[in-house]
Amino acid sequence: MDWKPDWGLRARMGLTMFLLFALYIVFAAGIMLYTGGGMFVFLLIFGGFTVAQYYFSDTLTLKSMGAKTVSAEEYPDLHRTIERLSQQADLPKPKVAVVDERVPNAFATGRNQKNAAVAVTTGLLRTLDQDELEGVLAHELAHVKNRDMMVMTFASLLGTIAFMFVRWGAFFGGGRGRGGNRGGGGILVAILISLVVWIISYILMRALSRYREYAADRGAAAITGKPSALASALVSISSGVEKIPDKDLRDEAEMNAFFIIPLKSGVVGRLFSTHPPTEKRIEQLRTLEREMEGF
Amino acid sequence: MGVLDGLRAALGLKAEADARREADPEDLFGMSTAYMTMHADLGYESVGEAALCFSGVDASSFHDAVDEVEAILAAGQEETGTAFDVTADGHGYEWVVLADDDTEDLVTSMHFAADTFVEQGYGSRLLAAVFGYERPDRRADDGRPQRAYWIYSFRRGSFYPFAPAGGRDRNNSAEFKLESVLDGELDVEADKEYWYPLWPSEDGRHPWE
Repeated sequence: MDWKPDWGLRARMGLTMFLLFALYIVFAAGIMLYTGGGMFVFLLIFGGFTVAQYYFSDTLTLKSMGAKTVSAEEYPDLHRTIERLSQQADLPKPKVAVVDERVPNAFATGRNQKNAAVAVTTGLLRTLDQDELEGVLAHELAHVKNRDMMVMTFASLLGTIAFMFVRWGAFFGGGRGRGGNRGGGGILVAILISLVVWIISYILMRALSRYREYAADRGAAAITGKPSALASALVSISSGVEKIPDKDLRDEAEMNAFFIIPLKSGVVGRLFSTHPPTEKRIEQLRTLEREMEGF
Repeated sequence: MGVLDGLRAALGLKAEADARREADPEDLFGMSTAYMTMHADLGYESVGEAALCFSGVDASSFHDAVDEVEAILAAGQEETGTAFDVTADGHGYEWVVLADDDTEDLVTSMHFAADTFVEQGYGSRLLAAVFGYERPDRRADDGRPQRAYWIYSFRRGSFYPFAPAGGRDRNNSAEFKLESVLDGELDVEADKEYWYPLWPSEDGRHPWE
């Protein structure tokens, strides 16, 4: 299996992590400066909370998503597929879970490669064919392989703390009262800094998470060797399939004869149309597909 | 970029104009190299048939144009051996159906037919050129080889893939693969909202049958 490193991707991820870390230091220094160290305890509590969340992430996430771990007897095909893909990806077989939910979706969780779980919704199993399902499962396994849970937990730590501080900062500040000359104003500034930190870390997190998705798509393509299957799964899941018409060209041509610009992609449609990440992901998968065909 | 261009871009008119290009029968020649890629990289073989879909006009000059197309194809038949037939379908459209095991000749005859319509001033009546392919190594649920078509839309001036999967289902995965491999070689329609199918009258038949 060809697990090609993507240096552009790595550089961008490195930069994001660096910026997050720099932000973290500035944030901690700011908190210390304005609260005289009292907030340090507060930070530790939420830091500990995040670490705990990280350690129990597999069971916790499965529970909160309503996923049920299933045995090989209950879902033999799903188990066999995941087993084969794990082997291909050089990973220990993760726990297999199913969510009883019509919306097609899948996710992976777990703090490391040995304590991982892959969950799919029943809607996903119903919607996708075997090739497409393998693409999605391989994508989730690539998340496990890339240790994304760890990366994202670390990256989101700061954002979580900043968010908590914005929410509860006033409460904590109210109890402090003893500062005298700078207590009230200090807490206000701390909340303001937290707010800014939260917003910036939110944006950075989103960027980081997008890069992780691309990386997982690439990993999935390496595992299955079929970028097109994952792309077609993405199209099905994101209801992009509805974009591909099923109305016959001949019938449509008759109707559109009345309009100079076909209604479907008229002025209003263009004005409000955006490029959802799915299209970009598909674009990348197309590039991979072409690479595999030797172009 | 001038002020008006900016305004047009903001309103989305420019994108519309850019996305849509004038149909050019020369585009059809792209299929003569594309079929080799289809064969070598994807395992698809030509079904030995292709067809041109157009909507008729009840005017003597149009009937003359059709006669001209038939005359040219008849002349070509002696040279290249491309058989042809003009038929009508249930949608009120007419087809020039071409049959030749040599794909080069098939593409050349298709170009002749389309070009003649354009020269006679009836280019706007052309709807689509359809090239049929199938994979002998992949069978659909009913045991027939998996089929796929490259459709050239004269309205959009671009190609798009269409892989029927029985009933009113499309094989999106196969279409995606065709798109990603042939894009660049053919001018593939980027906006999937225009990937209109041409459903065959029943499973296992070609859209022009």
